[in-house]
Amino acid sequence: MAAIPKEKPSRVDELRAEFAQYKADVKARGKPFYPYAMFHDTIMSLVVVCTIIGLAVIWKWSAWAPDHDPTHKGLLGPEVDPPADPGTTSFVPRPDWYFYFLFYLLRIFKWPESVFLGTVGVPTIALMLLIGLPFLDRRRVRRPSARPVAMVAAVLTIVSMAVLTWKGATAKEALASEVVQDVPNWVKAENLPSNARPGAELFATAGCTACHTYNGSGGSNLGAPDLTDIGSRNLGLQFQVNHLKCPSCVNPGSPMPPFASLGDERLKQLAIFLEASKGSP
Amino acid sequence: MATTYRRKPTKSEVRRQQMEELVMFPIDWLEERSGLIGGIRYFLFRNVPSDVNWMQTLGSAALTAFLVQAITGVILAMYYVPSAASDPKTGNPVAWESIVHITDDLTLGWLVRGMHRWGASVFIILMFLHMGRVFLFGAYKYPRELNWIIGVLILVMGMMEGFTGYLLPWDQTAYWATVVGINLNGTAPFAGPWLAQFLRGGQEISGETLTRFYSLHMLVIPGAIIGLITLHLYLVIRLGVTSPPWSKDAAGMEPEEEEAARLRPGLTRPVPRPSGASAMQAEPGGRE
Repeated sequence: MAAIPKEKPSRVDELRAEFAQYKADVKARGKPFYPYAMFHDTIMSLVVVCTIIGLAVIWKWSAWAPDHDPTHKGLLGPEVDPPADPGTTSFVPRPDWYFYFLFYLLRIFKWPESVFLGTVGVPTIALMLLIGLPFLDRRRVRRPSARPVAMVAAVLTIVSMAVLTWKGATAKEALASEVVQDVPNWVKAENLPSNARPGAELFATAGCTACHTYNGSGGSNLGAPDLTDIGSRNLGLQFQVNHLKCPSCVNPGSPMPPFASLGDERLKQLAIFLEASKGSP
Repeated sequence: MATTYRRKPTKSEVRRQQMEELVMFPIDWLEERSGLIGGIRYFLFRNVPSDVNWMQTLGSAALTAFLVQAITGVILAMYYVPSAASDPKTGNPVAWESIVHITDDLTLGWLVRGMHRWGASVFIILMFLHMGRVFLFGAYKYPRELNWIIGVLILVMGMMEGFTGYLLPWDQTAYWATVVGINLNGTAPFAGPWLAQFLRGGQEISGETLTRFYSLHMLVIPGAIIGLITLHLYLVIRLGVTSPPWSKDAAGMEPEEEEAARLRPGLTRPVPRPSGASAMQAEPGGRE
């Protein structure tokens, strides 16, 4: 009986055959995990533990200061920050370094309508691509030189993550002490009435400029809009006060923290200032 | 072959035999009932390609960093108090004071806290490097796709550990970073506001948020990570370690073989070595 000509092996057959060959080769001619590979692993683990201890020691001995003086930061930052104070009037939201890339992404998608792209959209797409990688790249070849697309994509990813992390790390923070010096300029540029002055100073010192820009001062963060001409929208004093008390109640999904702790008196001052800000003529 | 003693065994021989039985008994007992010893033997003496690379130690390095986090975390949990209430004497939050107490008063407390604080960063960096190595080697390809996915999940869980752990010192940086971080979660469509509400445990960040983050940080997420790492390692052992993609042979290459390999087509061809192959198995450490 003539042999039926075999079909060309399918992709799955080839993969299985290749893996079976790998298993057989390694079993016949590989070397045992102990002691060879385990020796390398042990050395590397010792390096890791020593690095961690080293960082802890550097942190301690460069940051040590009596009573945790916050001005003495050391090489790796202060050992203890001041205790959390929900009623504080000035803060800089700063995540741990491995979230800087997300943090900076929000400076790119800073228009209110697109914030969610930066907070959820881009990270979700990136994560889906990462999880789906083995199903996107189904070729058998493993040599980097034979995978130009994958290698270019990897380099671009690493470079963009590094740039975003670096930008996030060096992003200029608007210091209240510097912003407050711009208040006279604001008064001049926007023709602010005198009753808006206390609100303007409060705006400069209460942490608003950590996220919002105003007349070129402050840093845009987390998608916060520019407030130079917020008053021209004529939202009304009551709206401004309500919004400051609980931004997400008025504007669902707003990432802005509530400022109710400032108290009604100061919230009113802020509202007057915001309503008086009609933009530069 | 069995040696039969013609003379009576001496006292020292009898004692030696008794000692051996004493040592072997619990090992045999355990092996008979669990197969654990056989498992460990398999783990240790399974073959890996002979040219595994230094880059392939990054996974176990990340595991070591995780173990450091686990051990230091357990010690910190013995002294840390997850309470945002004010201390009646000083007016400072209790959680923050317990951190200061660990840092200043406890013997080597600063070291344990410092190792946990910086070990977190080392763990994240090593996971990224390990992922880069797997990508470079194309080691996520058939049949290791599932292990890649598990690895990505461990990375995500690790970053969630970072997010939840950051709040625990209850200091200004932690507090305001978390206020904003939770609000950012809230911008997600549909689930966002619900998620933000859940993480905060109410409308505002409070002591309830702190206990919630503490529970997530030391019970829920580490539990998930330990489960995922177990699966990850199981798959590594089951599927084997990939050889570097530039090796010409799946089992790794020996210098004297390289010349012959150049004449031989293909990536993973069986090497006909009738006598050598079995000799290798008899003496696993015999060649480098």
